Amino acid sequence: MLARTSFISCLLCAVLAVASPVYGQGSCQTFKPMTFGILPFISAEQLVVKFTPLVHYLSEHLNTPIRIETAPNFMTFAQRTQQQRYDILFTAPHFYAKANQVGYQLIARVDSPGMSAVIVVPRKSHIDTLDDLKGKRLASLHKESLASILLRKHLREHGIDPDKDLSIISTPTHDASLLSSYHGITDASALMQPPYEAASEQVRQNMRVIATTERAPHIPISVSARLSSQCSQEISRLLLAMGNTDEGRSVLKNNRFSGFRKASEEDYKKIKALLVQ
Amino acid sequence: MSHPVPLLQSLRCRLIVSVVAIEIIMLSILVWNNISIIQSTHTDRLRDTANSMVQQIANTAGNYMVAVDYATLEDYLKNVVNYKELLYLAVLDRDDKAVISFGDFPDRARPAIDSHPAQADDGVFDIAEDIKVAGQPMGKVLAGFSLSLMEDAIKKSRVRGTSIAAIEIILTVIVTVIIGLGLTRRLGMLSHAAAQVESGDYSVSVPTESNDEVGKTAAAFNRMVTEVSSRTKQLEKEESRSRELLRENRQLIHTSLEIQEEERKHLARELHDELGQCLTAIQADAELIRDVSGDNKAIQTSASAIMDVSSRVYDVVHSMMHRLRPSILDNLGLIEALKDEIEAWKSRHQNTRCEFIYRGDLSSLGERSNISLYRIVQECLTNISKYAEASSVLIELENKGDELLLNIKDNGRGFDSALSAKGLGLIGMRERVSSLGGSMDIKTSEGDGVYIRIRLPMNNGSDNEQR
Repeated sequence: MLARTSFISCLLCAVLAVASPVYGQGSCQTFKPMTFGILPFISAEQLVVKFTPLVHYLSEHLNTPIRIETAPNFMTFAQRTQQQRYDILFTAPHFYAKANQVGYQLIARVDSPGMSAVIVVPRKSHIDTLDDLKGKRLASLHKESLASILLRKHLREHGIDPDKDLSIISTPTHDASLLSSYHGITDASALMQPPYEAASEQVRQNMRVIATTERAPHIPISVSARLSSQCSQEISRLLLAMGNTDEGRSVLKNNRFSGFRKASEEDYKKIKALLVQ
Repeated sequence: MSHPVPLLQSLRCRLIVSVVAIEIIMLSILVWNNISIIQSTHTDRLRDTANSMVQQIANTAGNYMVAVDYATLEDYLKNVVNYKELLYLAVLDRDDKAVISFGDFPDRARPAIDSHPAQADDGVFDIAEDIKVAGQPMGKVLAGFSLSLMEDAIKKSRVRGTSIAAIEIILTVIVTVIIGLGLTRRLGMLSHAAAQVESGDYSVSVPTESNDEVGKTAAAFNRMVTEVSSRTKQLEKEESRSRELLRENRQLIHTSLEIQEEERKHLARELHDELGQCLTAIQADAELIRDVSGDNKAIQTSASAIMDVSSRVYDVVHSMMHRLRPSILDNLGLIEALKDEIEAWKSRHQNTRCEFIYRGDLSSLGERSNISLYRIVQECLTNISKYAEASSVLIELENKGDELLLNIKDNGRGFDSALSAKGLGLIGMRERVSSLGGSMDIKTSEGDGVYIRIRLPMNNGSDNEQR
């Protein structure tokens, strides 16, 4: 009797193993929509515009509805991440470190060597070096943002105390930082390089980069621990294979991503160290 | 004479009724139109306000919904929920769950959405607007607007409009009645004055009172009455003069006819008494000369010639005497004279049948009647022989007691009475009849013969006798 039961169990396992690619496409089907949480590094509307094709792509291939969601600011987003509000998480590398602590699992990262923060000034500005920033007003995101972390580290490495030698004005988004110096409200702006490059041509032509920080690993994509491993794998597989199809490449182009690649926890240890600093 | 105008035909009544009816109809249309416009304006205003408000909220709420920033959205919405007509406001998330709500939002039983305030049958205009960001649905805004304020405003407008219309109608009636009475009173005076003028009273005068159209009409009427009065008096004077002249002319004609007849009679008697005696004496002497001439042929021949000439002269004189005054009329009376005249005429016109019929006692007619009737018949026969080319003539004379009838009818060519009735012969006949107080009618047309009908009163004979 026991032998017979073992045989049936083995047979079932074998069948499931063979059929797993087929079942994978429906492994994320749930009764309620999945939530795709995106760090509010740009305005909510811009986020929707940029990420809707990606979300639709995933939704279609996973055969389950997915919603875009963000937060009013970085800190709220981080808090909601801690509450595991999002099923799929698109957040800054340093926030991922904290998310990982509550169970978010890395499934992919943007296929790019990394990203730096840049310090820009208006093209006609007399500020040419970091020393010229002393006593000036510099716009940057919240202290907890990656751009701010990279900026502070970079300034310190060049002998400038970010809390004493200049005034750092906090802005809600990268665009707000860039536009504050563009409009002359501040003397300079610090923001991540990808949003700077995504800014309008007119704005960029009137700005000048005076410094670039060290590079941090690019955006990680992680999933909540409540998703099944099959679903996580399916999402990962879909993301990694996007660059192989015209449809996938078209979606990636909308986000100015070259693609997604496999990520490992090792890639983000450096960021964890930075956070410790 | 003027008669009172029936009420419904009265200009005054019709004017007032027409103006009031038009005023009521036009004001009713105006009030109805205004109420419709007011109602439409209010409902459109509420619809536009509600749509605008909800659309603005939906546009604004998009980013907050993506960011699930309900607290900030609620703070923002607190600023707009104070709108007085707003009963409830709710923001639903993508799961149709109310994440923010104000007022009496019926969360459990969702209201039916109305496309227009006019469709709201529960006193609340419920509308909804999708919240979208970059075309992606992010939720929904639901809002309910009370219709009571709008309905109060419409009701007030309706009452106000109806009151204004009622006041205007009353004022119109009063003003129209006053103006109508004033206007038609003066027209009535004109009408009354015209009736007086119609009845021959030219002393009437209408007071002008003012210089408006009616006043000017009254002044013109007065001038016209004065002119008509003057002309009428002049015409009456001229007519009287004409009548007098005509009467005198007729008298003259009658006198002339009488004188003519007297002269004819006198001449006939003279011819008979003087010339007849002489001719008889000449003839007697010629016979004597012939008898005593013996064998003298020349004397016998001359005497015979004298006798022949005197005989022919006698015949001529006799004929002239007859024409001047038929002795048979005086000796044997009218009927015999007419018979004699007709027979003589028939002997001269043997192709024409002429019949003479007489009835009643015709022996007691006076001399004027006899000679007039004789001359009329004589004139008629002369005309028939000259112009009628008739084949039949009928002459009827009848004493009907109070009047004498003479009908002369032929079947000849006739004539155009309008063109030929004024010939001297007919005029003479008509004057002879007129002088006897009678009347003469002529019925004729070209190709239809002539029918002359004469009526004479029977009492004129004694007058003639007296004359």
